[in-house]
Amino acid sequence: MPAIILENANKSYGAGSPNAVSNLDLEIANGEFMCLLGPSGCGKTTTLRMIAGLENLSGGEIRIGERVVDSISKGLFVGPEKRELGLVFQSYALWPHLTIERNTDFGLRLRKVPKAEREALVTRVMKALDIEKYRGRYPSQLSGGQQQRVALARMLVVNPGVLLLDEPLSNLDARLRLEMRAELKRIHAEFGTTIVFVTHDQWEAMTLATTIAVMNEGTLQQMGTPNDIYDRPANRFVAEFVGSPPINIFEIGDASHDVVGRHAVTFLTARLGPDADIGSLGLRPETIQIAGSADAVPGGSFADEAVVTGILPTGGSWIVELTSGGKKTFATANEAPRQKVGDTVWFHVRPAALHVFSRDGQRLERADDVLAQAAVQ
Amino acid sequence: MTTGNAVAPRRESGRQVARANAIPSPAWTCRLRYRLRVALREPTTIIGLFAALLFAYLIVVPVVSILRDAVTVQFGDERRTAAEVGSLTTYYLSRAFTSPVAANLFWQPLRNTLMVAAGAIGIAVVVGTAIAWLICRTDMFARQWFATALIVPYMLPAWTFALAWTTLFKNRTVGGQAGWMESLGFSPPDWLAYGQVPITLILALHYAPFVILLFGSALRRFDSQLEDSARVLGAGRGAIALKIILPLMRPALMSAVVLIFAKCLGEFGVAYVLGLPVKYDVLATSLYRSIGSRQTGVAGVIAGAIMLIGIITILIDAYLVREAQRFVTVGGKGAMNRPARLGIWRWPATGFAAGVYAASVGVPLLTLFLSTVMRVPADFSWSNFTLDYWIGWNLPTVAMRTGILLSPDLWQAAFNTLWIVGLASTCSGLLGIITGYVVVRTPVRPLAAVLRQVTFMPYLVPGIAFAAAYLSLFAVPRGPIPALYGTSLILILALIADQMPYASRAGISAMMQLGRDPEEAAQVVGAGWLARMRLVVVPIQKGSLMTGILLPFISGIKGLSLFVMLAVPSTDVLTTFSMRLVDYHYTQAANAVVLIIAAIAYFGTLAAQKLTKTNLAEGLGS
Ligand SMILES: Nc1ncnc2c1ncn2[C@@H]1O[C@H](COP(=O)(O)OP(=O)(O)OP(=O)(O)O)[C@@H](O)[C@H]1O
Ligand SMILES: [Mg+2]
Repeated sequence: MPAIILENANKSYGAGSPNAVSNLDLEIANGEFMCLLGPSGCGKTTTLRMIAGLENLSGGEIRIGERVVDSISKGLFVGPEKRELGLVFQSYALWPHLTIERNTDFGLRLRKVPKAEREALVTRVMKALDIEKYRGRYPSQLSGGQQQRVALARMLVVNPGVLLLDEPLSNLDARLRLEMRAELKRIHAEFGTTIVFVTHDQWEAMTLATTIAVMNEGTLQQMGTPNDIYDRPANRFVAEFVGSPPINIFEIGDASHDVVGRHAVTFLTARLGPDADIGSLGLRPETIQIAGSADAVPGGSFADEAVVTGILPTGGSWIVELTSGGKKTFATANEAPRQKVGDTVWFHVRPAALHVFSRDGQRLERADDVLAQAAVQ
Repeated sequence: MTTGNAVAPRRESGRQVARANAIPSPAWTCRLRYRLRVALREPTTIIGLFAALLFAYLIVVPVVSILRDAVTVQFGDERRTAAEVGSLTTYYLSRAFTSPVAANLFWQPLRNTLMVAAGAIGIAVVVGTAIAWLICRTDMFARQWFATALIVPYMLPAWTFALAWTTLFKNRTVGGQAGWMESLGFSPPDWLAYGQVPITLILALHYAPFVILLFGSALRRFDSQLEDSARVLGAGRGAIALKIILPLMRPALMSAVVLIFAKCLGEFGVAYVLGLPVKYDVLATSLYRSIGSRQTGVAGVIAGAIMLIGIITILIDAYLVREAQRFVTVGGKGAMNRPARLGIWRWPATGFAAGVYAASVGVPLLTLFLSTVMRVPADFSWSNFTLDYWIGWNLPTVAMRTGILLSPDLWQAAFNTLWIVGLASTCSGLLGIITGYVVVRTPVRPLAAVLRQVTFMPYLVPGIAFAAAYLSLFAVPRGPIPALYGTSLILILALIADQMPYASRAGISAMMQLGRDPEEAAQVVGAGWLARMRLVVVPIQKGSLMTGILLPFISGIKGLSLFVMLAVPSTDVLTTFSMRLVDYHYTQAANAVVLIIAAIAYFGTLAAQKLTKTNLAEGLGS
């Protein structure tokens, strides 16, 4: 059963300003760990706030479980206090005048939970998040990471079915961030909570999510498992946004120098017909192999001659910058490359590793089957 | 090879949203119903509507009422205007502006107001900039001490100094106890004792702290790298001061000038004490006289004129503030303050600052104090000193036969002051927070704008004109509301309205600072509106609420112009009580009361600053 459904949701902040979110359809299943991923300003926070009821819609409908909580056509709006969700703010937003304990049991007191039960619950959650020793302190006496855990605890004690998190890890240092990621995964498993997590960090999304929804400029670009998103990006935006170093794009229009592109287009048009709408090709850096000479290139793969113009070690792996015909292509290698800067090499890819996009930037699915069948000798 | 399409594909959405815009947009009735539902889900908007109505009644209606008085025939003027009561007339306008009495009623007071303001501004700017520079940028002795000590005049009511002045310079033009100069055998001429000269001097000393504070803070923020670069390029000290510092300081200086002008415009007490004996009227006193002689229509015209000048002034100020924002470099952080070495001028400079302190604080307060413990002015023999005027019995006077501290009238007035001003300040502090809350939170943006504007309105209207407006509205019963003149209620309402600009500004900025997050967090865990108020908003805003109550309270205690119009003997507060004593020539008693007020205002300000950790400069203008 889906926990949350957004149907054609729109949000505009005041007449005249462009939509912060447009025509968003989103289904979040129960028990899912969904990441909203996208560049800054793409409407992630707005989406989260609409789900929480902190912003009302400008169009469309939101349902939580069976209940319609926000719908213009039905004239319905359920306030955030009645939606029974949890929300952790990017800024934590702890109440500065209350101790950690009072911050944590705030929701329970509101619900008039008996004292014994309340204390048991608070202690359990505090223990789980390792903040019990700060019970009597005030928020200003805690570090960022500790505050963040309190913000989480305060939502977890009321045991919401859905937990919304707005870039909760962005203020933490690298090590703490890693710890908190593990913590979140554990909470997801332990409390069985549906989690919607906002981030613009693709790494975070990839490692945490069961489903990723990629957004750009207020619209949903693609929704799928992390592998889907990475291996079968629905359009060029997703392909280029996800992956580091970013995917290599070969525009077909100016491909006169570009042997790989020309080769691939010839190959595809031969199989798909001359009206195949090919706009660009994408090559993930890690799928690019480097060979010392033309002889070492396996038959059936797309290849081109290039000069090594840079080798950047990134600690355990290497980024190799290749230049051919003025165009730069990046490849990654897990072993130290044998070539040196200045060497002439051949780089090649398997046809199945190619992403083909139409001229309007959508993934050309027809090409996928053709490429998958192409054999490499 | 196909030629590539130049259209950037990124804007296109993925396949999941292919059915975009398939749903027809709901009818406008649905939208309206939805909007209403969202707006009325929480009481914020309703409360805001009530607040807007209340402010309309407390602020807009009185102002409209007095402006209408100016152009409609007033009761008793039917014959003179040959028209019925309430019909439109230009009689009052022509009476105030073109008739033979116009010079007395309006033009002369206007000229006097402008002269006094110009003189006060000139002196305040010269003295204030000099002091500010000495304090901020030189190695004068005791800079820290002077930095606070020279602000003190602003914490005291202006007419404290007027009373001190009369105590020193009074001549035989008016009755009562003689002035010290007179007693010492030197009879001060009228021009020195009363009228323009003393009024100008006193206002200058009273408002010089504005210049010191505003100019000083601009100097402090001044990036000395700008100065250094000029020096590197070979500019001399004088050239730097003239070509670099002064132009950059001009916005701050102009701001202070405008502020002083606006204050002078509504200044009543000083002109009343020192102008009356020689019939030297400024606009505020002329307005007071018109009300006193029941010329309501003319009063309306004068009040309207004062408001108009006030509004123009504030608009100029707003313009200047915008201008000032263009000088962003002034806020640079390279302000490592290398004080100028004064060399042999160190002592004279310190002497100058000490002189200003003596003239603006030391001498006036000492004079007032001494006058309350001496039987005969300026006789410093031991036997002349007495505490009778404070705590004596059976004094040989017609009335006031006990020392001031034993007079029930004082305690009544003190009690009135505390509860009237206290209640009004509490109300306006609360209303300020409520206004702030609604302005920041309501989804109905126009309501926020209206609240913001309306609560700001009294700022444009000098207190004396505002009081006149209240008188005009509430002197007679209107509809279900009985005549309020003579009650404490009219004082409280007028005070609340008068304090709203500061209260709402404080409330709005406090709510802005709080942000939405703490409240939204509470909302998400299930707190309804009341619970959020009780558990989150009010506890966090406790401090600002205290400030919002305390600062108006202090300015209310030393305020005079509102009370002098609206108070009657039974609702006397300390300020009007002392004015009555002045009128009856009980010099010692009047001075004693003024000292009490000054002490309350001074220590109150200090306590408020301590308590709320605010800076005086922020409460400036309240
Ligand atoms: N209260 C507001 N009023 C007006 N515009 C807003 C408001 N909040 C957000 N916006 C606009 O809506 C768009 C989406 O903002 P949103 O905060 O949802 O972005 P985001 O994806 O969360 O970005 P970030 O990663 O930077 O947090 C932005 O263009 C932003 O400028
Ligand atoms: Mg955001």
